[in-house]
Amino acid sequence: MQPTRRSGLGAALAVAGLLIAAAVAVVLAAPSSRPSTAEPALPPSPSSALEPENVPLDPRPAALWAPVVARSAARSRPGGPAVVAHVPARTPEGTTNIVLVLGQSERRAGRLWVRVRVPGSPDDVRGWMPRAALGGYNPVHTRLVVSRTRLTATLLRDGRPVFRARVGIGTPATPTPRGDFYVRNQLHKYRSPFYGPLAFGTSARSATASDWPAGGFVGIHGTNRPDLIPGQVSAGCIRMVNRDIVRLDRLMRVGTPVSVR
Amino acid sequence: MSDLTLEAVDRSGAIAEAFDQLTGGTRGDFFRKALIGGAALTAVLEAPALAAPHNTAKDVAILRFDLNLEYLQAAMYSEAERLGEIRPRTLEWSRVVGANERGHVKAIRALLGRDATKSPSFNFRGVTEDDRVFTETAVAFEDLTAALLKTQATQVDSRRLLAALASLHSVEARHAAWIRHIAGIVPSADAFDEPTSKAKVVRLVESTNFVTSAPRTKRRREPRYTG
Repeated sequence: MQPTRRSGLGAALAVAGLLIAAAVAVVLAAPSSRPSTAEPALPPSPSSALEPENVPLDPRPAALWAPVVARSAARSRPGGPAVVAHVPARTPEGTTNIVLVLGQSERRAGRLWVRVRVPGSPDDVRGWMPRAALGGYNPVHTRLVVSRTRLTATLLRDGRPVFRARVGIGTPATPTPRGDFYVRNQLHKYRSPFYGPLAFGTSARSATASDWPAGGFVGIHGTNRPDLIPGQVSAGCIRMVNRDIVRLDRLMRVGTPVSVR
Repeated sequence: MSDLTLEAVDRSGAIAEAFDQLTGGTRGDFFRKALIGGAALTAVLEAPALAAPHNTAKDVAILRFDLNLEYLQAAMYSEAERLGEIRPRTLEWSRVVGANERGHVKAIRALLGRDATKSPSFNFRGVTEDDRVFTETAVAFEDLTAALLKTQATQVDSRRLLAALASLHSVEARHAAWIRHIAGIVPSADAFDEPTSKAKVVRLVESTNFVTSAPRTKRRREPRYTG
């Protein structure tokens, strides 16, 4: 009798289990019967109007330059007594004077000093100026190389040549100085046809024209005598035909280092 | 967000000391004009980098303001990276964050198209050459930017722009947390951040004197070079 009772109980449990499973299946399969309490459908997320991406820093610049905001002296050491050059805030042409920043700084007695290159004679000189005498730093990616033997000017951008022209340079008696300089300013819309349509002023100074008006600084400019180019024809300036100086103006900015070889 | 502002971080007077010896040159007008909005902006307009979608006048004003802030940050961090005068840990921050900020400039300019303004000239007055002052200034700027973006998110008309501001905001908040960590400041001291107003941003940017006029290096004048 015992085995018969056990098998009856097992059958009853099996039937109950099947009924529960069927009920669960019906509930799950049925559509929601609670429309009043359902979460409202969210609108699609808006796509961002921006497509940002990281932008790496430009290649290492050929130079950094800064305007001179207050007349100062360049010294041989930060805060030292020896003056290597007096640096006015204006050029002889009335533009803002600029210096090349060499990327070194030191704090002395609470004052920040930076190493700079400033016009000198016969070559640019290096010294330390108070940071407070300078304005913001500006990178420049071009470098002009002038060959006195080949009578050419080549502009490099990030190391690659982007411009080349034949030039006129100083005569043997009034040579264009050899060395490392930089472009300080640009003059334009003047009357004299002698300098062509525009002229760049550099930090280079002629050794033989120190009594020249405005200190004998060397310019890079056009000409009204294109027939003399290329050649050793000037009092120290670098001349090129007007078409070339206009082309150079589109490519070269103030602060560009100039190497005369 | 916090009360850490330029005034607060400059309690030692280090930034002020650098500024004291300088003459004039503040160009707060630039940001003030940006604050007023499109009609008041006189900056030269540029050709669009991409076809610009239509933006409302209010959205243009907001984007222009952000563009100016991004110009400032990108220029400061780029200069620090170029000079390499700050400590390696801060320099690494500047490299990574500078690439982000330059990316923000590019993206916002593309979004503004013809309405984009040119970058002003900056003079960071030695901040990029001094690790401590750079770090403190960067903390102030990053906190400020994150707080400003929160305000703007409630003001923009376009939902796409809202999504853009949100994506900028989280990145700027990460910048802020990272530079705070470098500066030894708790990155998330408070449970909630507060938004900030444009006027406060303008005041803080003006106080730095970082925005300057471009130097005058071109002139109409007869040359007197050696010829």
